[in-house]
Amino acid sequence: MFRFPGTIFIFAATLLLQTANGAEVNVYAAASLTDVLKEIAANYEKQSSDKIVFNFGASSILARQIIERAPADIFFSADEAKIDILQIGGLIVNDTRRDMLSNSLVIVVPNDSKLAIASPNDLLTKTQKIAIAEPRAVPAGIYTKEYLSGLGLWEKLKPKIVPTENVRAALAAVESGNVDAGFVYKTDADISKKVKIAFSVPIEKGPAIRYPVAIVKESKNRLGAENFLRYLQSDNARKLFERYGFIVKF
Amino acid sequence: MKLEIQQLTLHLKQFSLEVNADLHSPRTGIFGPSGAGKTSLLESIAGLRKPETAKISLDGCLYENSEQNYSLPVRLRKIGYVPQDDSLFPHLSVRRNLLYGTNSKSEHVTFSFDHVVDFLRITPLLDRDVRSLSRGENQRIVIARALLSAPRLLLLDEPLTALDLKLKNAILEQLRFLHNEFGIPMLYVTHDHAEAIEICEEVLMLESGKITARGRPIELLA
Amino acid sequence: MWLTPAEWQIVRFTLAVCALSTAIILPLGLAVAWPLARHRWPGKLLVETLVTLPLVLPPVATGLLLLKLFSRRGGLGQFLHEHLGMDVVFTWRAVVAAAAVMSFPLLVRSARVGFQSVNQRLEQIARTLGASNARVFFTITLPLAARGIIAGIVLAFARAVGEFGATIVVAGNIPGKTTTLSLEIFETVQLGHDASAYRLLIVSALIAFGAVWCSEVLMKRSALR
Repeated sequence: MFRFPGTIFIFAATLLLQTANGAEVNVYAAASLTDVLKEIAANYEKQSSDKIVFNFGASSILARQIIERAPADIFFSADEAKIDILQIGGLIVNDTRRDMLSNSLVIVVPNDSKLAIASPNDLLTKTQKIAIAEPRAVPAGIYTKEYLSGLGLWEKLKPKIVPTENVRAALAAVESGNVDAGFVYKTDADISKKVKIAFSVPIEKGPAIRYPVAIVKESKNRLGAENFLRYLQSDNARKLFERYGFIVKF
Repeated sequence: MKLEIQQLTLHLKQFSLEVNADLHSPRTGIFGPSGAGKTSLLESIAGLRKPETAKISLDGCLYENSEQNYSLPVRLRKIGYVPQDDSLFPHLSVRRNLLYGTNSKSEHVTFSFDHVVDFLRITPLLDRDVRSLSRGENQRIVIARALLSAPRLLLLDEPLTALDLKLKNAILEQLRFLHNEFGIPMLYVTHDHAEAIEICEEVLMLESGKITARGRPIELLA
Repeated sequence: MWLTPAEWQIVRFTLAVCALSTAIILPLGLAVAWPLARHRWPGKLLVETLVTLPLVLPPVATGLLLLKLFSRRGGLGQFLHEHLGMDVVFTWRAVVAAAAVMSFPLLVRSARVGFQSVNQRLEQIARTLGASNARVFFTITLPLAARGIIAGIVLAFARAVGEFGATIVVAGNIPGKTTTLSLEIFETVQLGHDASAYRLLIVSALIAFGAVWCSEVLMKRSALR
């Protein structure tokens, strides 16, 4: 009679023990970092007993979660504004903050698109729907709005804008063909096989994109976080970031 | 009238209903104990129940022929049906209930609304709420409604149950002269001797689904 | 004004879209509920399951199915885009579609119960009085099933107003175009605009009260006069 509950108990205890031994490092990172960070983490785990657990999403949503005391150890944001908010709120360890990467924006269209878009101006006449990450909150959307406003195109393009939850969702919308074009990071466009780049925003003309990182003050695994953060700035990591198309700033 | 029922069979819970009869009398009774199959017989004639086999015709018009897989739809049979249970439409007024069967479909309106209402003494009830009626009032209106649809045949299933004697006698009289007044033949189901004797010209005895006797009510039931 | 003009637009849009979706599913829902209530037929179980599906699937999963169905690539969406120049995904049409699909099962269930509660004897009598099947349905069955049907309509409307998961997948959250009350509350919470979120929350509650009040009035006036 006690066999079954007994087995469950032992099983649960084993699980708990396992997680206690090789600790977890919870990394909350911008959606655009999904693929590169997963590969970096896979490499890291070969030489460390720690396990990297990711939570990818729009930096705005992640920041909000951390404010609500979600159990993050590291926050890797796609813009400074989000980390600034956390810094003001005393939620990050200030001297662990680093400027890590930069990126550039591109206009993508579905692979089979017949639209000839050679510049942002073409979007006015050739498209009906344009996907971008939510311009009120998500970094990729904020950057896009900044760029288009600078060109005087934002108000005119606004009726065509389809805001998505994060930059990868914008990419997916373009891939599905349900929108005519979208603004994503160049690193996102490079990964997708279903879209092609119609226009690359020149770095000098585009918004200043910054990806800062920091350790969360209430981290339960400070040591693990520091170790991984150090690895993120190693040569191995640098090579991977560059391979994926990010501009390395460290 | 001429109601021909041939080879009607219908399996009921305890026994089979098997009827073979030609009915002529405009006031024919079906008499038997409860559970004898009387209601099922009426329902089969009205088309509300499908017998396993049957050949039924009324005044030469074929209603049912199971051999040819033919069954005339209920709405075309022009058979008025007064069931045992409550059957007034609760969401319509008394007046709308009465008028329900009197639409364009009836090519001939044999008698007027006032005539029927008068005869069954339901004039004061016309604007009453259906749910406020006593059983006696209820039954008279159901009969009137069936009459107003100008049927070829009226089927009444124990219409006077749960009525007190005084009321019963009042309505009995109306029923007895229904045919005189409106010319519509009826099939009257009851398990009450007095009713059968009072109303019917001829009676069929139904027991466990089979007709066991046939004749004048005085002879069979007194 | 207690609500901003933008918020008013969202409320009006939500009510309009939900009224439209409820109006669309009403004839369809009755047409499905009636045979489910009355007859046995081959394939009945399959239809019952399909109708219940939006109730049981996670709303985003239903949204995904709608996304595939109305996608510009293949399916209905391609046809509409190429022949009628009409898009569904990321437009108000998708909002209506999501609301309609998610609220459909509630209408059908309630209407089915309403139909089942109608005394079939009364329908039989109506037929003996010469009424065609259509006349019986509209003059006897429908009025007597009114309570269940009205309850179904109110439930469906309320479900449409509260719809979120499928909507955000197939229609997106486009300000001025597809943003509904639910979507806006979500967004304001995300952005930390709590005051706005609470205002909209109160509006939602008022709509809920309004719907229940309407249903009470309608029921009193219905069938059993």
